[in-house]
Amino acid sequence: MSEVALLQIIGMCVIGVGILILLFIKGMFLRVLGFVAMVLGVFSLIALSVPQMASLPPAVETFDLASVKSPDDLASIGQKIFFSKGQCALCHSIGPSESARCPDLNGIGAKLSAEFIYESLTKPQAYIYLDYRHDGIPKEYPAQMPHIDQDPIGLSKQEIYSVIAFLQKMSGEPISIKVEDIMETVKETANSLKVASVSSTLKSQLQNLADR
Amino acid sequence: MTSAGQLRHATVVQGMNRMPGLLKFGSFLALLFLPALAMAAGGAEIQAMSVEYRDVPGIGSRNLVWVVAQQHLLLAGFVLGVPIFAWICELVGWKTKEQRYDKLAKEFTKLLTSAYATTALFGGILLFLLIGLYPKLMAYLTDMFFPSFLVYCLLFLLETATLYMYWYGWDYMQGNKKTFHLFLGFLLNLFALGIMIVPNSWATFQASPVVVGEGDAWARAWMAMQNPTWWPVNIHRLIANVVLGGFIVGAYAGVRYLLAVSREEREHYDWMGYVGNFIGVFGMLPLPFAGYWLMREVYQYNQQMGITLMGGFLAWLFILQAMLIGVLFLGANYYFWMGITHRIPGSEGQYKKPVMGMLIVLLLCLGVWMTPHSLVASLAEAQKMGGTHHPLLGVFGVMSAKMTVSNIMILVTFMSFIMYWRAGKQETAGWAKAAKAIMGGLLVIAGIAVVVLGVWGYFVPAIIRINYFSVAQVLIVLFIMVTFTPLTALLMKSAKTTTEMVWGKMPIRAGYSLVLNAVMVILLMSLMGYARSSSRVHWHIYGVMRDTSDYAYSPALGYAAAFMSLNTFVFCLIVAFIFWVATLGDKAKAQPPKGSTMEIPGHTAPAMAGGAPSSGEKLE
Repeated sequence: MSEVALLQIIGMCVIGVGILILLFIKGMFLRVLGFVAMVLGVFSLIALSVPQMASLPPAVETFDLASVKSPDDLASIGQKIFFSKGQCALCHSIGPSESARCPDLNGIGAKLSAEFIYESLTKPQAYIYLDYRHDGIPKEYPAQMPHIDQDPIGLSKQEIYSVIAFLQKMSGEPISIKVEDIMETVKETANSLKVASVSSTLKSQLQNLADR
Repeated sequence: MTSAGQLRHATVVQGMNRMPGLLKFGSFLALLFLPALAMAAGGAEIQAMSVEYRDVPGIGSRNLVWVVAQQHLLLAGFVLGVPIFAWICELVGWKTKEQRYDKLAKEFTKLLTSAYATTALFGGILLFLLIGLYPKLMAYLTDMFFPSFLVYCLLFLLETATLYMYWYGWDYMQGNKKTFHLFLGFLLNLFALGIMIVPNSWATFQASPVVVGEGDAWARAWMAMQNPTWWPVNIHRLIANVVLGGFIVGAYAGVRYLLAVSREEREHYDWMGYVGNFIGVFGMLPLPFAGYWLMREVYQYNQQMGITLMGGFLAWLFILQAMLIGVLFLGANYYFWMGITHRIPGSEGQYKKPVMGMLIVLLLCLGVWMTPHSLVASLAEAQKMGGTHHPLLGVFGVMSAKMTVSNIMILVTFMSFIMYWRAGKQETAGWAKAAKAIMGGLLVIAGIAVVVLGVWGYFVPAIIRINYFSVAQVLIVLFIMVTFTPLTALLMKSAKTTTEMVWGKMPIRAGYSLVLNAVMVILLMSLMGYARSSSRVHWHIYGVMRDTSDYAYSPALGYAAAFMSLNTFVFCLIVAFIFWVATLGDKAKAQPPKGSTMEIPGHTAPAMAGGAPSSGEKLE
């Protein structure tokens, strides 16, 4: 028996109990409870009669930077990061938007260098344009740019490079980020992770010794 | 258990010794749960810090949190709504010198003491469950909002102290001190507002997070609190709490009316039902506007979230919402119409036609509101219809039509109230005729304007309709409400009463309609809670922290509705229990010693005082 059918049977039973109470029970409080049960049973049955659609989560996306073969692959990963883990689209729009809380990033890859964008993402307060386009009076925005390489967003160097590649491609610019640079940073990260892992093992061994 | 675990347990037990009764019981219950939760986590206590989720065997962690959170929220709505109701009644009693309003306010404030403890009990259980079942999410929220937790605690202390003074000082602060007591009532509601808006910021941050920049803990918490849906939710919940408070009072009066054995009781609970229904309707009229503002903000924040709500898998939820609101509007109007018919003798014939007209308009509007935009049809059916949209019904399924009919329903309900207000009275002011003509003209123009804007809305881009036409419709209806109310009040000030209102003559179905209204409001709150939570889809914090648990999906409407019904029934039982406990003392006082005959001067006072007959009644 399906879940919907089971719930429909329960709903009908509840309505039936409500009707029986109203027919045979004289105690007014119980009659009110029976009435409430009937109303709730009818509501449930109506809700069960409309199309039943659950919202299932999408498959978890993984950004396998090691599989990057071309700058376009990099930009494609950067696009995904821009709209998900990077949370860029929480505030920025690509193209004019009334609701955007931060500057429109349309064409930013053509107007700013990759180094400048990298600095803006990792040291947002280092050099501030109120509006990088400089159209008319600089505009104040309500949200402040966070450090993208720190918590809670915490993008890795490779991920930030991917986002820059996306911004450049989206602006019609040639992608200046090289796949080799990414591979280099992947190796660096792997090495640092190894060091961190060794250091963590050492730490736990020292802790065990201290506990004894 | 490890020594660290024992230490934690001992600390919690020590803390419990300082808690009041019901809170202590709640904490005890939560402690009972904790070992089971730890077992569900595989007994990996030492790895607690790395655990992201724990489950509860059988019911499941998400369902358990759903039930407890819903009970806590409904009770909180009741605890925050009733002081508003009580304070308004006290204010009316003070201004009009009618003691029955003051007594009504006092009796409902008495309920707060037990309801407050029960709410805190469920809040405590919810907190323990959240910490135990969703440690990663709670760690994130704690890190983001910790300073606001302190503010919340402070507000709780202030609220509790004010409630004690407000309740225990009621009889002492009469006469000259009444204004101070009213000020205490104002403070009580102010702190209650604070208690509501602080946690609202946590919940709205989950739905509409903003990027939090640099700064100390306080600055970061403040930045996170100021997210786009915070104030729309605050306003929407504040009004909804007034509605909940009013209709629950109405339902209580309805049940007591059905249980009443004496004429005096029937008169009293009939009057109380009228007051409860009036305040409920009073709050209900602006509520759709607040809901509209909230949805606008949701769309502005993230169009995808708006589409998930209105056009995605939750689209059918809004058909159910229309049905519940429609039944609520019908129930509230029906109660007004019954009031005119049964409380004002001789008015049946006079108001029969307008009532019938209003009923037809309401039913037609409800039909349009409930029309789905697209139907689930087979290929053959779709070919017959000429598309996925029904050629006739598809026209009514769009927002332009729904906004129009919801505004008309509000107008009709408002006019029902005005009609009730004016029934049994004869205007004596010289300008009464002109005023009535102006009001009639304005009403017709407003109705036509709302419909014209609605039809015009089909032919303009959506953004123009949303930004200008819908706003204009809302402003037109609000204009009618804010001009008609004082004008009618002025007319009634000098009006002559032709037929005295007779209380206690309402039929039994009036009591049931009050209960039905309360059930509809509770169901609506449960339904919209599910909508708000489901609009985040598979995110704990939308776009920031993904739900990676086994419960990352949103269940279908039927399953959710079964839970909402269960929650509503449990909440009704809890409220009934609170009312019963709170009135036990009164019953004991009203009971004379066995075998004796006692005369109670003034009123029979079984439970709720106020609106009592002038003569005493012998009780055996």
